[in-house]
Amino acid sequence: MTNIIEVSGLTKRFSGVTAVDDATFSVGENKIYGLLGRNGAGKTTLMQLLTGQDFATKGEISVFGQSPVENASVLQHISFIKESQRYPEDFRAKHVFRSAPWFFSNWDADFAEQLIADFRLPLNRRIKKMSRGQVSAIGVIVGLASRAPLTFFDEPYLGLDAVARQTFYDRLLADYAEHPRTVVLSTHLIDEVSNLLEHVLVIDEGRIIIDEDAETLRGSATTVVGTRPAVDAFVGAREVLHRDAIGGLASVTITGLSAQERKDATAAGLELAPVSLQQLIVRRTNTSEKEFEAIA
Amino acid sequence: MTAITTVRPPASALGRVLNVVKLHVTNPWNTIAVPWMIMGIILLANLAIWGIILSAAAPADRVSIREGLAYSGGSTFIFVYMMVVAIQAISVTFPFALGFGVTRRDYYLGTALAFTGLAAMFSIGLTILAAIEDATGGWGLGGRLFTTAYFGENWIQRLFIYFAAFLFFFTIGMAAASIWVRWKANGIIAFFIGLGIVVIGGAALLTYTNSWGGFGNFFATAGLVGSFAWSLVIAAIAGISGFFVLRKATPKN
Amino acid sequence: MDESRPIFAQLAEQIENDIIIGVMAEETQVPSINEFAAFYRINPATALKGVTMLVDEGALYKKRGIGMFVATGAQARLTTKRRDNFSAEFVAPLLTEAAKLGITPEQLAEMIRKADTA
Repeated sequence: MTNIIEVSGLTKRFSGVTAVDDATFSVGENKIYGLLGRNGAGKTTLMQLLTGQDFATKGEISVFGQSPVENASVLQHISFIKESQRYPEDFRAKHVFRSAPWFFSNWDADFAEQLIADFRLPLNRRIKKMSRGQVSAIGVIVGLASRAPLTFFDEPYLGLDAVARQTFYDRLLADYAEHPRTVVLSTHLIDEVSNLLEHVLVIDEGRIIIDEDAETLRGSATTVVGTRPAVDAFVGAREVLHRDAIGGLASVTITGLSAQERKDATAAGLELAPVSLQQLIVRRTNTSEKEFEAIA
Repeated sequence: MTAITTVRPPASALGRVLNVVKLHVTNPWNTIAVPWMIMGIILLANLAIWGIILSAAAPADRVSIREGLAYSGGSTFIFVYMMVVAIQAISVTFPFALGFGVTRRDYYLGTALAFTGLAAMFSIGLTILAAIEDATGGWGLGGRLFTTAYFGENWIQRLFIYFAAFLFFFTIGMAAASIWVRWKANGIIAFFIGLGIVVIGGAALLTYTNSWGGFGNFFATAGLVGSFAWSLVIAAIAGISGFFVLRKATPKN
Repeated sequence: MDESRPIFAQLAEQIENDIIIGVMAEETQVPSINEFAAFYRINPATALKGVTMLVDEGALYKKRGIGMFVATGAQARLTTKRRDNFSAEFVAPLLTEAAKLGITPEQLAEMIRKADTA
């Protein structure tokens, strides 16, 4: 399998802050990646480095086999949709869709038109008069219809309601199936997207702390609930991701349980509860769950 | 390099630069329509003022009033306005274009080309207006807006002076916008403080060395057209500096 | 789709169910990978993994250039497999829960008979 992106020892420091800290990973061709992490973890900076919008302090970045910085032959094949994407003041949505095909050689105008109808986007309204969700819809449409071989979505749906977000996921999945390409989706709405992802990268305080196949991650952790002595006896020396206790009851999240161990636990009168991808990441990044909750 | 399949071949080097040019006029409202509308309003306002002055003045005074109109500054506003247009256009289209996968190099070249084109278009337009002003005896009122003394004596000089002046203000705008995009408000403040120091320092130097006469002589010797030709040197320096400033800029929120 | 188990395994199980109850008849074509992915809102690679698992088990087979079909005898084989697992998957937990509540296996059997006639 080919890698589209190869990163090694990548570090980005701003005055005193290390936004990306010695990151090493690769991104395989034609897969959907989730770049997950809390706000300020370094997701946007990492994507800006990968798209040549920012400059690395240290380390190597190779995209399509070359450095992306000021490299038209690389950047022409990248579409980067940012949450905070700015549009020219006087632009209406139609101006964006008129100019986008000049820059994206895979642009599909029919698909764009269908998406504009799906998201009920007013083409003639000035962008600065639009709602936050409508502005986000422009980005989502550009990102999908550009069909760039490498597409980055950085929290693309601020202000989009649940229905519109579902539309985005459905269109992304359907179009990706027809036109396979590499997609990196950065989000904190992990539960919503977890089934779309093939691979998961979790970044925390600038470091890549999880780089794993989504299917491997799913069900990799389990919460064991029961009386404190029983739980403690079962958990033993295992790595504990999280521990809660109420009165005589304990609830402990651990990783890697075999089928036999599950049976043993049930036999010991313990209850096993699944841990979602979102909960797992919350546990691993020591974050309050609130930060990953829906914003709309 | 990994093989990348695309439906259409990606744009060539020249095509990429031209795409940026097109981007600047995708919505021609701010870059083309508004400046001409402002020019039109200035012209109408001046016509009204000339009409009022001339109808109020005694016939004997009218000749000296007409001489005074030769130095009207109404049309100079358009040049400063275009500098603002340049700053505005760059600050919003730069992050937008980079999101579309444009390199800073292609962006700057395309932007410079777009502004050069706009400069040519506006210069030709102003030259035509100047010719009309000449032919109609100052719009029938003896007013002078496009044929004022410092725009030269004939249409060739005017075309050149207009063009040089537009380029001057566009490139200063491009340099200032590049500083803004890269360093935001702090950069702009530092830039103007630096500029102030250079101007005041230069003035002080001229004063202490008793060289003001020589400084004036320079323009006198160079003449109107020559002085504007020298402004192209400053324009070139500003334009090239802007390029190096923008090359390391990062689109920020 | 729940979060506790790999999604490809859940998809495979879902297709097995459809074969067992006859929704997907033997020798008929099943939806494509992309159709499964879109319907269950999952990554196509995941859908492929689930379907491949059933192909390896012999429940589905590929017709080159046409698509995926339910194998002859798949319904019977899958039913047997499910029956073999029935005791471990359903009866054992039932007995554990019953024991916790002080319900004897005899009482449990009586409850099942009643529920069935109700």
